Amino acid sequence: MAGREAARKVVHQVRPLLSVDKDEARKRVINLYKTWYRQIPYVVMDYDIPMSVEQCRDKLREEFLKNKDVSDIRVIDMLVVKGQMELKETVEIWKQKGHIMRYWKESQDPKPTDFLSKFFNGQN
Amino acid sequence: MAAFLRTISSSLRTGLVGKTIQPSTTLSAARFSTKAEEPAGETRPTVRKPDEVARSHLTDFGRYVAECLPKYVQKVQLTSGDELEVLIAPDGVVPVLQFLKDHHNSQFANLVDIAGLDIPSRENRFEVVYNLLSLRYNSRIRVKTYTDELTPLDSAYGVFKAADWYEREIWDMYGVFFANHPDLRRILTDYGFEGHPQRRDFPLSGYVELRYDDEKKRVVCEPLELAQEFRKFDLSAPWEQFPNFRNANPPSETIETKK
Amino acid sequence: MANVLKKTTGLTGLAVAANPHHTLSSLYNKILRAVQKMPQEAAYRKYTEEIVAQKLKIVQSTPVVKDLEKSINCGQAEELIVQAENELLLARKMLGWKPWEPLVKRAPAKQWDWPPAKIEQPKLE
Repeated sequence: MAGREAARKVVHQVRPLLSVDKDEARKRVINLYKTWYRQIPYVVMDYDIPMSVEQCRDKLREEFLKNKDVSDIRVIDMLVVKGQMELKETVEIWKQKGHIMRYWKESQDPKPTDFLSKFFNGQN
Repeated sequence: MAAFLRTISSSLRTGLVGKTIQPSTTLSAARFSTKAEEPAGETRPTVRKPDEVARSHLTDFGRYVAECLPKYVQKVQLTSGDELEVLIAPDGVVPVLQFLKDHHNSQFANLVDIAGLDIPSRENRFEVVYNLLSLRYNSRIRVKTYTDELTPLDSAYGVFKAADWYEREIWDMYGVFFANHPDLRRILTDYGFEGHPQRRDFPLSGYVELRYDDEKKRVVCEPLELAQEFRKFDLSAPWEQFPNFRNANPPSETIETKK
Repeated sequence: MANVLKKTTGLTGLAVAANPHHTLSSLYNKILRAVQKMPQEAAYRKYTEEIVAQKLKIVQSTPVVKDLEKSINCGQAEELIVQAENELLLARKMLGWKPWEPLVKRAPAKQWDWPPAKIEQPKLE
Protein backbone atom coordinates (compact mmCIF):
# COMPACT_ATOMS: atom_id res chain seq x y z
CA MET A 1 0.00 0.00 0.00
CA ALA A 2 2.77 2.35 0.98
CA GLY A 3 4.60 1.47 -2.20
CA ARG A 4 1.55 2.32 -4.24
CA GLU A 5 1.19 5.62 -2.39
CA ALA A 6 4.80 6.46 -3.19
CA ALA A 7 4.34 5.50 -6.82
CA ARG A 8 1.28 7.71 -7.09
CA LYS A 9 3.21 10.59 -5.56
CA VAL A 10 5.95 10.23 -8.16
CA VAL A 11 3.36 10.19 -10.93
CA HIS A 12 1.79 13.32 -9.54
CA GLN A 13 5.04 15.19 -9.34
CA VAL A 14 6.00 14.97 -12.99
CA ARG A 15 4.66 17.57 -15.33
CA PRO A 16 2.54 16.11 -18.15
CA LEU A 17 3.69 16.68 -21.69
CA LEU A 18 0.26 16.86 -23.34
CA SER A 19 -2.07 14.22 -21.92
CA VAL A 20 -3.00 13.84 -18.30
CA ASP A 21 -4.20 10.24 -18.41
CA LYS A 22 -3.96 7.09 -20.47
CA ASP A 23 -7.26 7.58 -22.29
CA GLU A 24 -6.24 10.98 -23.55
CA ALA A 25 -2.89 9.65 -24.73
CA ARG A 26 -4.65 6.79 -26.52
CA LYS A 27 -7.03 9.23 -28.16
CA ARG A 28 -4.11 11.27 -29.45
CA VAL A 29 -2.41 8.18 -30.87
CA ILE A 30 -5.56 7.07 -32.68
CA ASN A 31 -6.14 10.56 -33.97
CA LEU A 32 -2.64 10.68 -35.38
CA TYR A 33 -3.06 7.26 -36.97
CA LYS A 34 -6.31 8.31 -38.63
CA THR A 35 -4.83 11.51 -39.97
CA TRP A 36 -1.89 9.66 -41.47
CA TYR A 37 -4.24 7.04 -42.91
CA ARG A 38 -6.33 9.66 -44.65
CA GLN A 39 -3.35 11.56 -45.96
CA ILE A 40 -1.63 8.53 -47.52
CA PRO A 41 -3.44 8.65 -50.92
CA TYR A 42 -2.38 12.27 -51.37
CA VAL A 43 1.17 11.47 -50.29
CA VAL A 44 1.39 8.65 -52.83
CA MET A 45 0.05 10.95 -55.52
CA ASP A 46 2.18 14.01 -54.67
CA TYR A 47 5.49 12.28 -54.18
CA ASP A 48 5.17 9.83 -57.09
CA ILE A 49 6.61 6.96 -55.07
CA PRO A 50 6.63 3.42 -56.52
CA MET A 51 4.35 2.16 -53.76
CA SER A 52 0.63 1.53 -53.66
CA VAL A 53 -1.69 3.05 -51.08
CA GLU A 54 -2.13 -0.37 -49.46
CA GLN A 55 1.61 -0.86 -49.09
CA CYS A 56 1.90 2.55 -47.48
CA ARG A 57 -0.90 1.76 -45.07
CA ASP A 58 0.79 -1.51 -44.11
CA LYS A 59 3.93 0.47 -43.47
CA LEU A 60 2.01 2.97 -41.36
CA ARG A 61 0.59 0.15 -39.27
CA GLU A 62 4.01 -1.39 -38.90
CA GLU A 63 5.55 1.89 -37.73
CA PHE A 64 2.84 2.37 -35.14
CA LEU A 65 3.08 -1.21 -33.93
CA LYS A 66 6.80 -0.79 -33.39
CA ASN A 67 5.95 1.21 -30.27
CA LYS A 68 2.99 -0.86 -29.10
CA ASP A 69 4.66 -1.79 -25.83
CA VAL A 70 5.28 1.78 -24.69
CA SER A 71 3.25 2.43 -21.56
CA ASP A 72 4.61 5.70 -20.12
CA ILE A 73 2.14 8.44 -20.99
CA ARG A 74 4.85 11.02 -21.48
CA VAL A 75 6.82 8.76 -23.83
CA ILE A 76 3.64 8.15 -25.83
CA ASP A 77 3.07 11.90 -25.98
CA MET A 78 6.62 12.53 -27.13
CA LEU A 79 6.22 9.93 -29.90
CA VAL A 80 2.91 11.51 -30.91
CA VAL A 81 4.52 14.95 -31.04
CA LYS A 82 7.29 13.63 -33.27
CA GLY A 83 4.74 11.79 -35.41
CA GLN A 84 2.75 14.97 -35.88
CA MET A 85 5.86 16.88 -36.91
CA GLU A 86 6.70 14.17 -39.40
CA LEU A 87 3.16 14.22 -40.77
CA LYS A 88 3.40 17.95 -41.30
CA GLU A 89 6.76 17.63 -43.04
CA THR A 90 5.26 14.99 -45.32
CA VAL A 91 1.97 16.69 -46.10
CA GLU A 92 3.52 20.09 -46.77
CA ILE A 93 5.96 18.43 -49.20
CA TRP A 94 9.01 19.65 -47.34
CA LYS A 95 10.35 16.13 -47.68
CA GLN A 96 11.51 14.61 -50.93
CA LYS A 97 10.94 11.24 -52.52
CA GLY A 98 14.04 9.81 -50.90
CA HIS A 99 12.87 10.79 -47.43
CA ILE A 100 9.57 8.97 -47.92
CA MET A 101 11.24 5.88 -49.36
CA ARG A 102 13.47 5.73 -46.27
CA TYR A 103 10.67 3.98 -44.39
CA TRP A 104 11.09 0.87 -46.54
CA LYS A 105 14.87 0.54 -46.11
CA GLU A 106 15.01 -1.18 -49.50
CA SER A 107 18.69 -0.61 -50.18
CA GLN A 108 19.63 -2.47 -47.01
CA ASP A 109 20.41 -6.14 -47.51
CA PRO A 110 19.34 -8.36 -44.66
CA LYS A 111 22.31 -9.27 -42.49
CA PRO A 112 23.64 -12.82 -43.03
CA THR A 113 23.01 -15.14 -40.14
CA ASP A 114 24.82 -18.38 -40.98
CA PHE A 115 28.52 -18.76 -40.40
CA LEU A 116 29.78 -19.06 -43.92
CA SER A 117 28.09 -16.02 -45.39
CA LYS A 118 29.16 -14.01 -42.33
CA PHE A 119 32.69 -15.18 -43.03
CA PHE A 120 32.49 -14.16 -46.68
CA ASN A 121 31.14 -10.77 -45.64
CA GLY A 122 34.05 -10.26 -43.29
CA GLN A 123 31.91 -9.99 -40.17
CA ASN A 124 32.55 -11.77 -36.96
CA MET B 1 57.89 35.50 -19.21
CA ALA B 2 56.60 37.21 -16.12
CA ALA B 3 57.41 40.61 -17.56
CA PHE B 4 55.62 39.65 -20.73
CA LEU B 5 52.54 38.65 -18.78
CA ARG B 6 52.66 41.85 -16.84
CA THR B 7 52.70 43.95 -20.01
CA ILE B 8 49.79 41.95 -21.40
CA SER B 9 47.77 42.35 -18.26
CA SER B 10 48.45 46.06 -18.01
CA SER B 11 47.54 46.60 -21.65
CA LEU B 12 44.44 44.51 -21.17
CA ARG B 13 43.46 46.52 -18.19
CA THR B 14 43.92 49.85 -19.89
CA GLY B 15 42.56 48.66 -23.23
CA LEU B 16 39.52 46.72 -22.16
CA VAL B 17 38.64 47.82 -18.70
CA GLY B 18 39.20 51.46 -19.42
CA LYS B 19 36.95 51.49 -22.45
CA THR B 20 34.23 48.95 -22.01
CA ILE B 21 33.80 48.00 -18.38
CA GLN B 22 33.96 51.50 -17.04
CA PRO B 23 30.74 52.84 -18.61
CA SER B 24 28.81 49.89 -17.24
CA THR B 25 29.92 50.68 -13.75
CA THR B 26 29.06 54.33 -14.03
CA LEU B 27 25.70 53.50 -15.54
CA SER B 28 24.79 50.80 -13.14
CA ALA B 29 25.82 53.16 -10.40
CA ALA B 30 22.58 54.87 -11.24
CA ARG B 31 20.77 51.73 -10.15
CA PHE B 32 22.54 51.09 -6.88
CA SER B 33 24.19 53.40 -4.43
CA THR B 34 27.91 52.73 -4.43
CA LYS B 35 29.40 51.26 -1.34
CA ALA B 36 31.49 53.57 0.78
CA GLU B 37 34.41 51.23 1.42
CA GLU B 38 36.74 50.25 -1.41
CA PRO B 39 36.55 46.46 -2.03
CA ALA B 40 39.78 44.55 -1.64
CA GLY B 41 41.67 44.08 -4.91
CA GLU B 42 42.79 40.79 -6.40
CA THR B 43 46.14 39.76 -4.98
CA ARG B 44 46.65 36.43 -6.73
CA PRO B 45 48.60 36.54 -9.99
CA THR B 46 46.18 36.73 -12.92
CA VAL B 47 46.06 37.95 -16.49
CA ARG B 48 42.52 39.20 -16.44
CA LYS B 49 41.97 41.26 -13.34
CA PRO B 50 38.34 41.39 -12.31
CA ASP B 51 36.99 44.86 -11.87
CA GLU B 52 35.97 45.03 -8.23
CA VAL B 53 33.44 47.82 -8.73
CA ALA B 54 31.66 45.94 -11.51
CA ARG B 55 31.75 42.81 -9.40
CA SER B 56 30.14 44.46 -6.43
CA HIS B 57 27.41 45.91 -8.65
CA LEU B 58 26.73 42.50 -10.14
CA THR B 59 26.64 40.97 -6.68
CA ASP B 60 24.15 43.57 -5.55
CA PHE B 61 22.01 43.01 -8.60
CA GLY B 62 22.10 39.23 -8.09
CA ARG B 63 20.87 39.71 -4.51
CA TYR B 64 18.21 42.09 -5.78
CA VAL B 65 16.86 39.51 -8.26
CA ALA B 66 16.89 36.78 -5.61
CA GLU B 67 15.07 39.03 -3.16
CA CYS B 68 12.39 40.02 -5.67
CA LEU B 69 11.74 36.47 -6.91
CA PRO B 70 12.37 34.14 -3.97
CA LYS B 71 9.85 31.68 -5.41
CA TYR B 72 11.99 30.79 -8.39
CA VAL B 73 15.64 31.68 -7.78
CA GLN B 74 17.58 28.74 -6.41
CA LYS B 75 21.07 30.11 -6.51
CA VAL B 76 22.96 33.19 -7.69
CA GLN B 77 26.60 33.01 -8.62
CA LEU B 78 29.43 34.88 -10.31
CA THR B 79 31.33 32.91 -12.93
CA SER B 80 34.82 33.69 -14.19
CA GLY B 81 35.03 36.76 -12.07
CA ASP B 82 32.42 39.03 -13.52
CA GLU B 83 29.58 37.08 -15.12
CA LEU B 84 26.35 37.00 -13.19
CA GLU B 85 24.35 33.77 -13.28
CA VAL B 86 20.89 33.21 -11.87
CA LEU B 87 19.97 29.57 -11.43
CA ILE B 88 16.23 29.09 -11.35
CA ALA B 89 13.63 26.35 -10.95
CA PRO B 90 12.16 25.15 -14.27
CA ASP B 91 8.72 26.52 -13.40
CA GLY B 92 10.07 30.05 -13.24
CA VAL B 93 11.36 30.53 -16.77
CA VAL B 94 8.64 32.90 -17.90
CA PRO B 95 8.31 34.96 -14.68
CA VAL B 96 12.05 35.41 -14.28
CA LEU B 97 12.63 36.36 -17.91
CA GLN B 98 9.66 38.70 -17.87
CA PHE B 99 10.91 40.35 -14.69
CA LEU B 100 14.41 40.79 -16.12
CA LYS B 101 12.99 42.21 -19.32
CA ASP B 102 10.39 44.61 -17.99
CA HIS B 103 11.52 45.74 -14.57
CA HIS B 104 12.80 49.32 -14.39
CA ASN B 105 16.06 48.31 -12.76
CA SER B 106 17.00 45.48 -15.10
CA GLN B 107 15.62 46.07 -18.63
CA PHE B 108 17.35 43.08 -20.19
CA ALA B 109 15.40 43.63 -23.38
CA ASN B 110 17.66 41.59 -25.60
CA LEU B 111 17.78 37.80 -25.72
CA VAL B 112 21.24 37.06 -27.07
CA ASP B 113 21.11 33.30 -27.11
CA ILE B 114 19.61 30.16 -25.65
CA ALA B 115 22.03 27.32 -25.16
CA GLY B 116 21.63 23.72 -24.08
CA LEU B 117 23.87 21.46 -22.05
CA ASP B 118 23.72 17.71 -21.53
CA ILE B 119 25.23 16.06 -18.44
CA PRO B 120 23.93 12.47 -18.42
CA SER B 121 25.11 11.75 -14.87
CA ARG B 122 22.72 14.28 -13.39
CA GLU B 123 19.20 13.58 -12.28
CA ASN B 124 17.91 16.27 -14.65
CA ARG B 125 20.33 15.83 -17.47
CA PHE B 126 19.66 18.94 -19.56
CA GLU B 127 20.53 22.49 -18.68
CA VAL B 128 19.02 25.35 -20.66
CA VAL B 129 20.89 28.65 -20.54
CA TYR B 130 19.40 32.03 -21.47
CA ASN B 131 21.86 34.86 -22.15
CA LEU B 132 20.37 38.31 -21.79
CA LEU B 133 21.72 41.75 -22.58
CA SER B 134 20.58 45.07 -21.22
CA LEU B 135 21.41 47.90 -23.57
CA ARG B 136 20.12 50.46 -21.10
CA TYR B 137 22.57 49.51 -18.35
CA ASN B 138 25.23 47.86 -20.55
CA SER B 139 25.26 44.65 -18.63
CA ARG B 140 24.67 40.98 -19.23
CA ILE B 141 23.08 38.23 -17.21
CA ARG B 142 22.74 34.50 -17.63
CA VAL B 143 19.69 32.55 -16.53
CA LYS B 144 20.05 28.79 -16.16
CA THR B 145 17.46 26.13 -15.59
CA TYR B 146 17.26 22.37 -15.88
CA THR B 147 14.99 19.66 -17.23
CA ASP B 148 15.07 16.01 -18.27
CA GLU B 149 14.11 14.17 -21.45
CA LEU B 150 10.38 14.14 -20.86
CA THR B 151 9.64 17.21 -18.75
CA PRO B 152 8.49 20.15 -20.84
CA LEU B 153 9.82 23.63 -20.21
CA ASP B 154 7.71 26.73 -20.74
CA SER B 155 8.53 28.49 -23.96
CA ALA B 156 10.06 31.95 -23.63
CA TYR B 157 8.41 32.98 -26.89
CA GLY B 158 5.78 35.01 -25.04
CA VAL B 159 8.52 37.15 -23.51
CA PHE B 160 11.14 37.29 -26.24
CA LYS B 161 10.14 36.75 -29.85
CA ALA B 162 13.79 35.82 -30.50
CA ALA B 163 13.29 32.63 -28.52
CA ASP B 164 11.44 31.04 -31.44
CA TRP B 165 14.37 29.66 -33.41
CA TYR B 166 16.65 29.20 -30.41
CA GLU B 167 14.09 26.92 -28.81
CA ARG B 168 13.67 25.03 -32.05
CA GLU B 169 17.43 24.49 -32.04
CA ILE B 170 17.35 23.15 -28.49
CA TRP B 171 14.44 20.89 -29.39
CA ASP B 172 16.24 19.59 -32.44
CA MET B 173 19.62 19.13 -30.83
CA TYR B 174 18.63 17.92 -27.34
CA GLY B 175 14.98 16.89 -27.54
CA VAL B 176 13.80 19.26 -24.82
CA PHE B 177 10.11 19.92 -25.38
CA PHE B 178 8.96 23.53 -25.03
CA ALA B 179 5.33 23.88 -24.05
CA ASN B 180 3.33 26.64 -25.75
CA HIS B 181 5.88 27.16 -28.50
CA PRO B 182 4.04 28.38 -31.61
CA ASP B 183 5.95 26.36 -34.18
CA LEU B 184 8.17 23.70 -32.65
CA ARG B 185 9.80 21.58 -35.32
CA ARG B 186 13.24 20.58 -36.56
CA ILE B 187 15.55 23.36 -37.70
CA LEU B 188 19.04 21.94 -38.28
CA THR B 189 18.65 18.25 -39.05
CA ASP B 190 17.33 16.69 -42.22
CA TYR B 191 13.73 15.53 -42.59
CA GLY B 192 13.42 11.97 -41.43
CA PHE B 193 16.46 12.25 -39.17
CA GLU B 194 16.08 10.29 -35.97
CA GLY B 195 17.61 11.23 -32.64
CA HIS B 196 19.00 14.39 -31.14
CA PRO B 197 22.64 14.89 -32.16
CA GLN B 198 23.89 17.01 -29.26
CA ARG B 199 23.01 14.44 -26.63
CA ARG B 200 26.08 12.91 -25.07
CA ASP B 201 24.89 9.40 -25.92
CA PHE B 202 24.57 10.19 -29.63
CA PRO B 203 27.70 8.89 -31.35
CA LEU B 204 29.92 11.36 -33.17
CA SER B 205 29.57 9.36 -36.39
CA GLY B 206 25.77 9.13 -36.18
CA TYR B 207 23.73 6.02 -36.90
CA VAL B 208 23.07 6.31 -40.64
CA GLU B 209 24.86 7.34 -43.79
CA LEU B 210 23.40 8.72 -46.99
CA ARG B 211 24.54 8.12 -50.52
CA TYR B 212 23.21 8.67 -54.02
CA ASP B 213 21.97 5.46 -55.56
CA ASP B 214 22.44 5.43 -59.30
CA GLU B 215 19.88 2.71 -59.96
CA LYS B 216 17.10 4.26 -57.94
CA LYS B 217 18.07 7.79 -58.97
CA ARG B 218 17.68 9.13 -55.48
CA VAL B 219 19.47 9.44 -52.15
CA VAL B 220 19.22 6.36 -49.99
CA CYS B 221 19.83 5.98 -46.28
CA GLU B 222 21.72 3.07 -44.78
CA PRO B 223 22.97 2.12 -41.34
CA LEU B 224 26.49 3.28 -40.79
CA GLU B 225 29.27 0.80 -41.31
CA LEU B 226 32.73 1.81 -40.25
CA ALA B 227 36.00 0.22 -41.21
CA GLN B 228 37.85 -1.17 -38.22
CA GLU B 229 40.46 1.58 -38.08
CA PHE B 230 37.79 4.24 -37.63
CA ARG B 231 36.07 2.41 -34.83
CA LYS B 232 38.54 3.43 -32.15
CA PHE B 233 37.11 6.29 -30.17
CA ASP B 234 39.10 8.13 -27.56
CA LEU B 235 36.40 9.08 -25.12
CA SER B 236 38.42 10.66 -22.34
CA ALA B 237 38.16 14.41 -22.30
CA PRO B 238 41.50 16.18 -22.63
CA TRP B 239 40.72 18.54 -19.72
CA GLU B 240 40.19 15.68 -17.29
CA GLN B 241 43.80 14.48 -17.29
CA PHE B 242 44.81 16.47 -14.24
CA PRO B 243 42.20 15.76 -11.58
CA ASN B 244 44.35 17.35 -8.90
CA PHE B 245 43.87 20.73 -10.50
CA ARG B 246 40.11 20.48 -10.70
CA ASN B 247 39.63 22.56 -7.61
CA ALA B 248 42.56 24.89 -8.16
CA ASN B 249 40.43 27.69 -9.55
CA PRO B 250 36.83 27.54 -8.47
CA PRO B 251 34.95 28.55 -11.60
CA SER B 252 32.10 30.20 -9.77
CA GLU B 253 31.45 31.97 -6.50
CA THR B 254 28.07 31.71 -4.88
CA ILE B 255 26.43 34.94 -3.84
CA GLU B 256 24.77 34.50 -0.48
CA THR B 257 21.10 35.37 -0.61
CA LYS B 258 19.00 35.38 2.50
CA LYS B 259 16.22 32.84 2.42
CA MET C 1 7.90 78.87 -25.44
CA ALA C 2 10.26 76.64 -23.52
CA ASN C 3 8.21 73.49 -23.87
CA VAL C 4 8.51 73.32 -27.65
CA LEU C 5 7.61 69.93 -29.08
CA LYS C 6 10.54 68.04 -30.50
CA LYS C 7 10.31 66.76 -34.06
CA THR C 8 11.54 63.20 -33.60
CA THR C 9 12.86 60.80 -31.00
CA GLY C 10 15.49 59.53 -33.42
CA LEU C 11 14.36 55.97 -32.72
CA THR C 12 12.55 53.92 -35.34
CA GLY C 13 8.94 53.19 -34.51
CA LEU C 14 8.84 55.49 -31.51
CA ALA C 15 6.71 58.56 -32.16
CA VAL C 16 7.00 61.78 -30.19
CA ALA C 17 4.60 61.81 -27.27
CA ALA C 18 2.22 64.79 -27.27
CA ASN C 19 1.82 65.09 -23.52
CA PRO C 20 4.38 62.91 -21.74
CA HIS C 21 3.60 64.33 -18.30
CA HIS C 22 0.01 63.21 -18.42
CA THR C 23 0.82 59.76 -19.87
CA LEU C 24 3.66 59.14 -17.46
CA SER C 25 1.84 60.17 -14.31
CA SER C 26 -1.23 58.12 -15.20
CA LEU C 27 0.96 55.09 -15.97
CA TYR C 28 2.92 55.49 -12.74
CA ASN C 29 -0.28 55.77 -10.75
CA LYS C 30 -1.60 52.63 -12.41
CA ILE C 31 1.59 50.78 -11.47
CA LEU C 32 1.29 51.96 -7.89
CA ARG C 33 -2.31 50.79 -7.76
CA ALA C 34 -1.42 47.37 -9.22
CA VAL C 35 1.48 46.97 -6.82
CA GLN C 36 -0.69 47.82 -3.82
CA LYS C 37 -2.57 44.55 -4.25
CA MET C 38 0.59 42.63 -3.35
CA PRO C 39 1.46 41.74 0.24
CA GLN C 40 3.17 44.48 2.20
CA GLU C 41 6.46 42.64 2.73
CA ALA C 42 6.99 41.55 -0.90
CA ALA C 43 10.38 42.81 -2.05
CA TYR C 44 9.12 43.43 -5.56
CA ARG C 45 6.37 45.70 -4.24
CA LYS C 46 8.79 47.56 -1.98
CA TYR C 47 11.35 48.27 -4.69
CA THR C 48 8.85 49.06 -7.42
CA GLU C 49 6.96 51.46 -5.20
CA GLU C 50 10.22 53.15 -4.33
CA ILE C 51 11.35 53.54 -7.95
CA VAL C 52 7.97 54.58 -9.30
CA ALA C 53 7.19 57.02 -6.49
CA GLN C 54 10.54 58.69 -7.05
CA LYS C 55 9.91 59.01 -10.78
CA LEU C 56 6.39 60.23 -10.22
CA LYS C 57 7.69 62.94 -7.92
CA ILE C 58 10.15 64.09 -10.58
CA VAL C 59 7.41 64.07 -13.23
CA GLN C 60 5.16 66.21 -11.06
CA SER C 61 7.86 68.66 -10.06
CA THR C 62 9.50 69.32 -13.46
CA PRO C 63 7.27 70.86 -16.12
CA VAL C 64 9.91 70.93 -18.88
CA VAL C 65 10.35 67.64 -20.74
CA LYS C 66 14.11 68.14 -21.26
CA ASP C 67 14.68 68.61 -17.53
CA LEU C 68 12.46 65.65 -16.77
CA GLU C 69 14.52 63.40 -19.03
CA LYS C 70 17.70 64.69 -17.48
CA SER C 71 16.69 64.20 -13.88
CA ILE C 72 15.22 60.72 -14.36
CA ASN C 73 18.27 59.81 -16.48
CA CYS C 74 16.77 56.77 -18.15
CA GLY C 75 16.33 57.84 -21.77
CA GLN C 76 13.85 60.10 -23.53
CA ALA C 77 10.33 60.69 -22.29
CA GLU C 78 8.96 58.35 -24.94
CA GLU C 79 11.28 55.59 -23.77
CA LEU C 80 10.17 56.25 -20.22
CA ILE C 81 6.60 55.70 -21.35
CA VAL C 82 7.55 52.37 -22.90
CA GLN C 83 9.37 51.34 -19.73
CA ALA C 84 6.40 52.30 -17.59
CA GLU C 85 4.04 50.34 -19.83
CA ASN C 86 6.30 47.30 -19.50
CA GLU C 87 6.47 47.65 -15.75
CA LEU C 88 2.68 47.95 -15.55
CA LEU C 89 2.16 44.76 -17.55
CA LEU C 90 4.80 43.02 -15.45
CA ALA C 91 3.20 44.13 -12.18
CA ARG C 92 -0.17 42.82 -13.30
CA LYS C 93 1.36 39.49 -14.34
CA MET C 94 3.23 39.31 -11.03
CA LEU C 95 -0.12 39.32 -9.23
CA GLY C 96 -0.86 36.00 -10.88
CA TRP C 97 2.61 34.52 -10.44
CA LYS C 98 3.05 35.53 -6.79
CA PRO C 99 6.88 35.41 -6.86
CA TRP C 100 7.16 36.50 -3.20
CA GLU C 101 6.16 33.02 -2.05
CA PRO C 102 8.84 30.61 -0.76
CA LEU C 103 10.93 28.60 -3.20
CA VAL C 104 8.70 26.42 -5.36
CA LYS C 105 11.18 23.57 -5.77
CA ARG C 106 14.64 22.99 -4.38
CA ALA C 107 17.28 21.97 -6.90
CA PRO C 108 18.14 18.25 -6.73
CA ALA C 109 21.43 17.59 -4.97
CA LYS C 110 24.45 18.18 -7.21
CA GLN C 111 22.30 19.76 -9.91
CA TRP C 112 24.39 22.90 -9.99
CA ASP C 113 27.77 21.29 -9.28
CA TRP C 114 30.52 22.18 -11.64
CA PRO C 115 32.63 20.54 -13.08
CA PRO C 116 30.17 17.67 -13.51
CA ALA C 117 32.90 15.03 -13.69
CA LYS C 118 32.83 14.90 -9.91
CA ILE C 119 29.28 13.56 -9.90
CA GLU C 120 29.80 9.87 -9.52
CA GLN C 121 26.30 8.52 -9.03
CA PRO C 122 25.22 6.73 -12.22
CA LYS C 123 21.74 7.43 -13.45
CA LEU C 124 20.75 3.79 -13.86
CA GLU C 125 21.27 1.42 -10.96
